[in-house]
Amino acid sequence: MSAVLPYSIAAAALVALGLFGLVVQAAVLRKILAFNLLGGGVFLLFGVVARRGAGAGATADPVPQAIVITGLVVAFAATALAVVLALRMHQITGAATIAEAAEDGFPDK
Amino acid sequence: MSGTTPGGWLLVLALALPVGGMLLAFALGGRTAERIALGVLGLGTVLAGMIAAEVYAAGAPLAYRLGGWAPPLGLRLQADGLAAAMLLTAALVLLAVALFGRAAQATPPGVQEARAPFTFWTFLLALAASLAAAFLGGDLFNLFVALEMLTFAALSLACLDGRPSQFRSELRYLFFALIGSVLYLLGTALLYGAHGTLDIALLAERAGADLPTLLAAALMTAGLLAKMALFPLHLWLPPAHAGAPPAASALLSGLVVKAAFVLLLRLWIWVLPPVPAGAGAPLLAGLGAAAILVGSLIALRQERLKLLVAYSTVAQIGYLFLMLPLVLAGDPEAAARAWLGGILQAASHAFAKAAMFLSAGLVAGALGHDRVAELGGAGRAMPMAVIAFGLAGLSLMGIPPSGGFTAKWLLLTAALGTGQWWWAAVILGGGLLTGGYVYRVLAGSLTAPPAAAPRPEPPAQGPERVALALALVSVALGLVPLASFGLVQIGRPILGGAP
Amino acid sequence: MTGAQALLVAAIAAPVLLLAACLWDGARRRMPGLLWLAPLPGLAAALLAADTTPLVLDAARLRFTLALDAPSALLLGAAALLWSAAGAYASRYMGRGPGAERFALWWLITLSGSLGVFVAGDLASFYLAFAAVSLAAFGLIVQDGTPRARRAGEVTLLLAVMGEICLLLAFALLAEAVQGPSLAIADAVAALPGSPARGLAVGLLVAGFGLKAGLVPLHVWLPLAHPAAPMPASAVLSGAIVKAGIIGLLRFLPADGALSDWGGILAGIGLLTAFWGVGCGIVQANPKTVLAYSTVSQMGVTVAALGMGMAMAAPGTGMAVAFYATHHVLAKGALFLAVGLAAGSGGWRRWLVLLPALILALGFGGLPGTGGALAKAAVKPQLGEGLVGLLAGLSAAGSTLLMLHFMRRLIALEAGGTADRPARGLLLPWLGLAAAALLLPWALYGAAGLGDPWEALGKDPVAALWPVLLGAALAAGLARQDRWLGAVPEGDLLLLTGKARRLGAACGAVAVRAEALLRAWPIAGLALMALLLALFGVMLAAAA
Repeated sequence: MSAVLPYSIAAAALVALGLFGLVVQAAVLRKILAFNLLGGGVFLLFGVVARRGAGAGATADPVPQAIVITGLVVAFAATALAVVLALRMHQITGAATIAEAAEDGFPDK
Repeated sequence: MSGTTPGGWLLVLALALPVGGMLLAFALGGRTAERIALGVLGLGTVLAGMIAAEVYAAGAPLAYRLGGWAPPLGLRLQADGLAAAMLLTAALVLLAVALFGRAAQATPPGVQEARAPFTFWTFLLALAASLAAAFLGGDLFNLFVALEMLTFAALSLACLDGRPSQFRSELRYLFFALIGSVLYLLGTALLYGAHGTLDIALLAERAGADLPTLLAAALMTAGLLAKMALFPLHLWLPPAHAGAPPAASALLSGLVVKAAFVLLLRLWIWVLPPVPAGAGAPLLAGLGAAAILVGSLIALRQERLKLLVAYSTVAQIGYLFLMLPLVLAGDPEAAARAWLGGILQAASHAFAKAAMFLSAGLVAGALGHDRVAELGGAGRAMPMAVIAFGLAGLSLMGIPPSGGFTAKWLLLTAALGTGQWWWAAVILGGGLLTGGYVYRVLAGSLTAPPAAAPRPEPPAQGPERVALALALVSVALGLVPLASFGLVQIGRPILGGAP
Repeated sequence: MTGAQALLVAAIAAPVLLLAACLWDGARRRMPGLLWLAPLPGLAAALLAADTTPLVLDAARLRFTLALDAPSALLLGAAALLWSAAGAYASRYMGRGPGAERFALWWLITLSGSLGVFVAGDLASFYLAFAAVSLAAFGLIVQDGTPRARRAGEVTLLLAVMGEICLLLAFALLAEAVQGPSLAIADAVAALPGSPARGLAVGLLVAGFGLKAGLVPLHVWLPLAHPAAPMPASAVLSGAIVKAGIIGLLRFLPADGALSDWGGILAGIGLLTAFWGVGCGIVQANPKTVLAYSTVSQMGVTVAALGMGMAMAAPGTGMAVAFYATHHVLAKGALFLAVGLAAGSGGWRRWLVLLPALILALGFGGLPGTGGALAKAAVKPQLGEGLVGLLAGLSAAGSTLLMLHFMRRLIALEAGGTADRPARGLLLPWLGLAAAALLLPWALYGAAGLGDPWEALGKDPVAALWPVLLGAALAAGLARQDRWLGAVPEGDLLLLTGKARRLGAACGAVAVRAEALLRAWPIAGLALMALLLALFGVMLAAAA
């Protein structure tokens, strides 16, 4: 049990940091980084879960590891999409944040 | 734990068909993508109809074990009444949007392949695939992946035009949805740690009112609410839905938010034990009530037509949550009514809102703007689009005969039957406010155009007909005798014994 | 299905089928000329299918019921007759063209609802018919497209939707009170007195139906809408459409003493409405507005009779009230048609309009020999005694005064030249309807089981005559007092809503600002976390 405790605490810290960043930081790039921290925390938690399953008698619990791998792919895709959108936004409007009210620039068709 | 049932292969097909179509469309590109999408979505509608018929005939859910592996290690696809009904709704709306898109998203003549149409048709299929996965999945992590795919596909459709304002609103959408995703994933980690499975049916047996389950449920629910934009988490929805092209708006508002709702139902009705669920449900329904009242009030004061329709979505999502405390109240008859009412609301709103966004898009396209105060002449130039908007509005208001009326009537009687009359007051008040904003649009578009205004270009007949057909379906849902909706009750856990 | 039941179906199906036919251009262009045909199956049903066995379609699942009891048949017949005459009038009055075609569409929807409320036998189809007649009337009112018509239409629509909401809630309570899955009105009415939410349900029914019937203070839409609509539409609005409210009250509130407490309340509201209508009406300049206020007043009398019948558990109340309302359908509808004719005719032909109009007008005060006198005689058992009898007499005097005022305003309309002859397409429906209003009550009085009409009139001639004389004397006294004209605007009490509107606008502005605040990113993020914790806390507390 004590072997997984440091990892659990690390996971919780990562999640807290990531959430804080996503909510408070206005800059898009920081939000993307915060999201990855947050994701890292959750994946670490899955690792803890796998380890605990192993400790309970099974040789190792493969399911959480499979979940982590799939989750990594999803998080990677999300990061890539966010980066592309942020880049295009920066290229077109020069903006690097999404803090302003979004509907002020509603164009006429 | 049921194994693969007869007809289970239909579920695999429902999933594999749009995925295969998408890959093929991506590989072949150009005009072929459009043809593939239309064919696949047409077939998908037939398939969804077959699944619904099969479930109805069998009176029990269809299931398929992937690779023959049993949960908890294997994955399960399953179609109960809820899934079959939502799958059919989604298939019909997708097909309608595809037909609508034949005019708006056609590859220009003389070009081999154009970016926007190619993206539209490919991602339309991606959206169809992820919706099918979200409705048919039987495993909470699988559903997470489906939901993520759905967000990505919807997002790509939404910023199809590449307008500057779209990027900002879609990024807001993406980030808020990502917070929701991670919270959901965190919840699944806790559930797996506590119970060793993520299969919904197994969890329903194993999960109790223990600390990890409750924390996981709170996390996952909060994540899903962020993805559904339940008030007060709706910051991203109005700009994202209003700024997208009409076809994408119709899908975003009509279907995408409903997928997260199906997940929410799986969690609250299947996995959670009745006691904590019954305690949390009024909180969610209270937020739903706030969504109905505030969303409608804000919609009433919008100056842009598409924003008005988007705020109407914020409000109509609220109605879905009213079913939770009624289903969980412990009165079996009221629970059945509320369950049917909630799902009927989801379906009729899907058709009505798609019709509204499509017709709003046609009106905005023809007039060159979408200012509500200057819609004069729209009724004369494109009567079909305005009628479609009006009929859809009647369904949203809950005027008989329409699907919206039946849904609200069921929720209303369920609320009175369980003694929770305050939800009835909210349902009726929301109807009045809805009438207000629908009237504003209709009255505006039926006035004579200003003398100086250029005569608007009447749009092509085809897209107008599609919008009208969607609105008619939403109305026609109210003409189907109630007993025919027994389908949606199939496979629903009966929670009779909540003390 | 028997022949009589088939007629019930045809009564609703005819306008709906004509409506469906409008999908074809050719049929739509011809539709304004065919409007008079649409209500005829309804008329046949009223004549031949009264008290037939209710028709229940698909009893296991749909439970769609059509039924026609005797009071409904009486009103259905009169309403169908008015709709037919007004339809013939409209085909001439509205002319041809896209405007007339649009008018015909709204006309047919309203018509199907207006006849539907008389034959619907279950809550769902009654509600559907009621919604059709309430909401589609909007299209008839705003036909002219003037700002005045639009405002009248908006007020009507808003109040109609609020009425719908009251009724929806009331019906939900009724459905809840019924044991088992039945939605039949008969079962709902039987279950109403014993229902736990009896007071609320009856209150909502009175509000919803009273709004349609024009009971004070929910009458404000009526004097706005009826004058704003084109002439034939005003006729059906005032004659047939307000009866949807009356038939609702008649069918949902049993007059067998089970709701005797509500009877007194209803009678009080009715009498207040009767005098209110007179008071506001005699200062109006527009003859159509005067007629609209007269409708308010007459519906007050009708509801007062129903209320007294409920309080006394008087047998035959339903029939008597329906008879009173039937006379109003025909006479008020005819008078609106007369207003449209008076301006366009000159010379001796003008008297073809004015003379029958005078007789009909005085009938509302109970002039002996008119149909109106028979109507008053029919509700005598309910409104004949004691203080209520005196008040009813005074309201009849008020009606005489009001209708003489109407005649003065009608005559004051600019007459045409001596050579102006009214179009035959307008004159014939008017004369036919006026004759029906005068003569049909004589034929129906016995058929409705109310007794011998001659005997009824001969019974107490003084009681029948004094209101007429008093009203005439008052009218003579007030004849020169034109300075009061316009003292009360159309829709009197609407004056008071200005403050409420400002308050509503202020609330909306606050909501918009608050919502904009909630959409700020950090606040939404915090709201998400707070929601998460609240959910966890609530569930944990319940599980512990």
